[in-house]
Amino acid sequence: MDFTLSEDQELLRDTARALLAAECTTSMLRAHIDDPAAADPLWTHLREYAGLAGGPLTDHHLFLEELGYVAAPGPFFATTALFAPLLGTVDHELLPAALAGEVTGTVALAGTDGRWRANDDPVKTFVPEADRVDWVAVVSGEPAVTLLRNPPTRLVRTVDTTRRLFEVTVDASGSGEPLPILPEELESIVEWATVALAAEMVGTARRLFDMTLAYAKERVQFDVPIGSFQAVQHKLADMALDLERATSAVQFAAMAHDAGDNDRHRATHVAKAAAGAAATRAAKDGIHIHGGIGYTWEHDLHLFIRRAYGSEHWLGTRAEHHDLLAEELLI
Amino acid sequence: MKLGWGPKEEAFRAELVAFLDEQAPPEALVQRDFDSIEDDSGDIIPAWSRKWQSTLFDHGWMIPAYPAELGGRNCTPIQTLAYLEEMARRSIPRSFHFPGYAIVAPSLLEFGTSEQQTLAPAAIRGDTVWCIGMSEPNAGSDLAGIQTRAAVHDDHFVVNGQKVWTSYAMVAQKCFCYVRTNPDVPKHKGISLLIVDMDTPGIEIRPLRHITGAASFAEVFFTDVVVARENLVGGLDDGWRITQGSLAHERAGLWVESVSRLEYTVGSLIALARRRGLDRDPVVRRRLAEMYERAASLRALGYKGFASFAQGSSAPEHSFMKMATSELGQECFELGVEMQGAYGTVVDGERSEESGRWAHSFFVSFASTIAGGSSEIQRNIIAQRVLGLPRG
Ligand SMILES: Cc1cc2nc3c(=O)[nH]c(=O)nc-3n(C[C@H](O)[C@H](O)[C@H](O)COP(=O)(O)OP(=O)(O)OC[C@H]3O[C@@H](n4cnc5c(N)ncnc54)[C@H](O)[C@@H]3O)c2cc1C
Repeated sequence: MDFTLSEDQELLRDTARALLAAECTTSMLRAHIDDPAAADPLWTHLREYAGLAGGPLTDHHLFLEELGYVAAPGPFFATTALFAPLLGTVDHELLPAALAGEVTGTVALAGTDGRWRANDDPVKTFVPEADRVDWVAVVSGEPAVTLLRNPPTRLVRTVDTTRRLFEVTVDASGSGEPLPILPEELESIVEWATVALAAEMVGTARRLFDMTLAYAKERVQFDVPIGSFQAVQHKLADMALDLERATSAVQFAAMAHDAGDNDRHRATHVAKAAAGAAATRAAKDGIHIHGGIGYTWEHDLHLFIRRAYGSEHWLGTRAEHHDLLAEELLI
Repeated sequence: MKLGWGPKEEAFRAELVAFLDEQAPPEALVQRDFDSIEDDSGDIIPAWSRKWQSTLFDHGWMIPAYPAELGGRNCTPIQTLAYLEEMARRSIPRSFHFPGYAIVAPSLLEFGTSEQQTLAPAAIRGDTVWCIGMSEPNAGSDLAGIQTRAAVHDDHFVVNGQKVWTSYAMVAQKCFCYVRTNPDVPKHKGISLLIVDMDTPGIEIRPLRHITGAASFAEVFFTDVVVARENLVGGLDDGWRITQGSLAHERAGLWVESVSRLEYTVGSLIALARRRGLDRDPVVRRRLAEMYERAASLRALGYKGFASFAQGSSAPEHSFMKMATSELGQECFELGVEMQGAYGTVVDGERSEESGRWAHSFFVSFASTIAGGSSEIQRNIIAQRVLGLPRG
């Protein structure tokens, strides 16, 4: 039971932090709202890390946590947490190029109900970055995988301006032979992606928490910092608890998957649910503690609040993961 | 990062398992929701548990991190974790009176004179039962506000005042007693720690029944109680430091027991839901899953804190564990009571689920968010010491 980071992992995390602080600023996030190409320069840096998708989840997720901290837009999550693992599972020839960051891709799986399980719906939903990646891997009900180039897409706007989600119309006459994939293989891919998203959310929650804690120390009312009021202190203590337990649960889930441990299915739902609790609490209490300034468009807080709620509702909400967990526990 | 245990820990665990299989008495194998302060016999410290504690000590399994003369085997922190997990997994209690081994012995070893340190083995082995005299009628959360006075003389102190909620006072031989030795300085600076023999003339103990009806704590009155100077632990007026003292090994390990009990409770909640036909109820299912989520994430948090602790850095994670496990425990028992509808409050053995365990444990659990630093005090500590917020 060793939760310590190796020196290499610490180095990876610190490198990511430095890189992202410089390349993924909030002014870029704002420019990206109207022009997704604003995130292209970021990808030229991040593509060098696409190979993380071929290694242990613990390393990959450590990196994703940092991406969540800056609410990074662009194809990194879709390519490394969805597309590459799918290619790897069906042994696709594009895998080396994806791991080298030379091609980008995404996965279209969820149907009309927005849930990530195999189906034959003609329109796939909540597909990240579908219009700007090189490949869209469509998963059908059998399940089987078909790679499409430039399928018809429709942007579906959500509160989250940092992650672009699409409907993709799946043309039955799609190019190439469908590649079969086992249901349990598909389940693993969805679980990895779920924990990956949970890792990102922990980063976003930490950003919201850090901003709020700093503000509580600096904002003075009644001649004292608002962080000296017990009502504010106790909110921050509760935010910190949810953040800490989510961070650990996500790390545990990644370790459980890396080790093929029997606990990995439960750990996945625990991780996403805990990350959801941490991120949404940090968002709600975070804006509350900021007072009026947090309610403005000018203040950066909302960028991360948006990311937090967008992520909570993607790949299964906390309540949905509780239901899935209950299936594991009660049947 | 690595899941599971290395070969060294597995070998260590195997040794423990062999010992437990051979030596653990049947009474120790009964699953318990809490470090039950009573067992079925109604004794605060049942005879079998006294014997069991000394057996653990004699075989080096009481506090494995300590050397043999202190009931251990010089094991590493990670082995301690493996030990605590195995004990908790089997729900085997080490002792029915924690103050001696968990608070008194480590404090004496760190702050006591060499003479005082000779009291540690008996405290850990359970041969001496200790009580902790901190709380007073006017000093609970505000511990530094204690008023029990110890007048300082050349070779002795004379103690007058009152303690309250003193667990084990009626069975203890000794008290770790915090007293005011200097009323003329700021309150944290005039406190001293004394070792007081409970049979000293002038001590009167009045047992207090607690909410479940059992008597496990007491009021303790001191009238002109003479305590020898050599029973002062640490410096004069320097007792506050000891209250904050280094209980590193116990602190770092307590969460294992709390989390394991929580997981056991969540497991019994699931069984209860099945028996009550509520396992298909969507509301109950979500709530059970939420309890499971919180307990599982707290275990992970405990591991993470242990990793930094084992490396020698302080582990802020542990500040969260007491507050989080006690509050979740209460919610679990409340849900157990709620699921039984009209029968939720029935404690009649023949008419209730598990002999009224749920309502009973729910009541017992009220203490967990009050004693040992209430949840509000824990949040203050997290805010001020972990998050660095200014004091209000
Ligand atoms: C089962 C049990 C066993 C015990 N055993 C022992 C023992 O062996 N030895 C011993 O010395 N003591 C013992 N205690 C006493 C225990 O340590 C105290 O009950 C505890 O410190 C709280 O003090 P209090 O009861 O005076 O409550 P108070 O301090 O009066 O608190 C009452 C309420 O006010 C809140 N409050 C207090 N201060 C603050 C603050 N600054 N900010 C926000 N809220 C605040 C508390 O959280 C609580 O909800 C025991 C208690 C129990 C229940």
